[in-house]
Amino acid sequence: MSVAPVELEQPEQQELTRPDVPWVTIVWNDPVNLMSYVAYVFQTYFGYPKQRADKLMLDVHQKGRAVVSTGSREEMERDTEAMHEYGLWATFQKQS
Amino acid sequence: MGRPFQADGDGIRVGIDQDEREVLAHLLDQVADLLDPGTPDPGPVDPLAEALGLDPAELPGSGVEGSGAASPPVAEPEDPAVARLLPQGHREDPAEAEEFRRLTEHGLRARKRSSLRLAGAALRGPEPPLLTAEQAQALVKGLTDLRLVLGERLGLRTDEDTERLQALVHARSDPDDPFVGLAALYDHLTWWQEYLVAALMPPRGRFARRGGRRG
Repeated sequence: MSVAPVELEQPEQQELTRPDVPWVTIVWNDPVNLMSYVAYVFQTYFGYPKQRADKLMLDVHQKGRAVVSTGSREEMERDTEAMHEYGLWATFQKQS
Repeated sequence: MGRPFQADGDGIRVGIDQDEREVLAHLLDQVADLLDPGTPDPGPVDPLAEALGLDPAELPGSGVEGSGAASPPVAEPEDPAVARLLPQGHREDPAEAEEFRRLTEHGLRARKRSSLRLAGAALRGPEPPLLTAEQAQALVKGLTDLRLVLGERLGLRTDEDTERLQALVHARSDPDDPFVGLAALYDHLTWWQEYLVAALMPPRGRFARRGGRRG
């Protein structure tokens, strides 16, 4: 990170979230949660059909992580909290 | 031995004997105790927020002017097992993770504890219970939290660790070794949870709330 000249203050507005930038919820692999349970959570909470839930579960298991939902920041925070309630390790972030 | 869990009409029939159900209920209660914040420091209680079921931390202007943040930050739990139950919500930005924890941890602790107590209570009693949907869902989450705690105590970090643990249990090595005993308990809980998930899983299970979240 470069240092800005002191007389140039960075406007605070730059930090404000732009509503058109999508956010994502990511579920990470862990050694405890059962594959069947992870698929069950994706079907039950997100209402995903079995095939999609199984695909996401396998991505988590094999690739170490999967994006399980996309939306506004508020929605992704809610999904992350819900995953924690189910015991899955989830994080939210701006879509990269 | 019958199946530990089986779909039965609108419920889940528990085929676990009373002694083992009592042990499981006790372990679930212990996890609930672990999630008790212990020495809570909520600051001055806002009776209105409490009556409305609002988290004071989320209300604007709840902090005293000039004292800094609206509510004190919540540190990550020191016990790694509790930290696993209440993980970071953001991986890259510590400030985001701290803010998420400040807004969510209190509620998450309360909901997990209430769910664990509900599951434990449903298991107790002389007769094998027929769990309602709510009780079965509380139990499947409770088994997860319990296994996460035990997994942390057993040092499970990778899928390979879990495979080594299973090999250790199945080799029936040194039953007097406390680590092997804990590993055997973990393995048994895993077996129970597999059956419970299968009993709950749609379309066989009838409890899936499809479209529970629309987004």
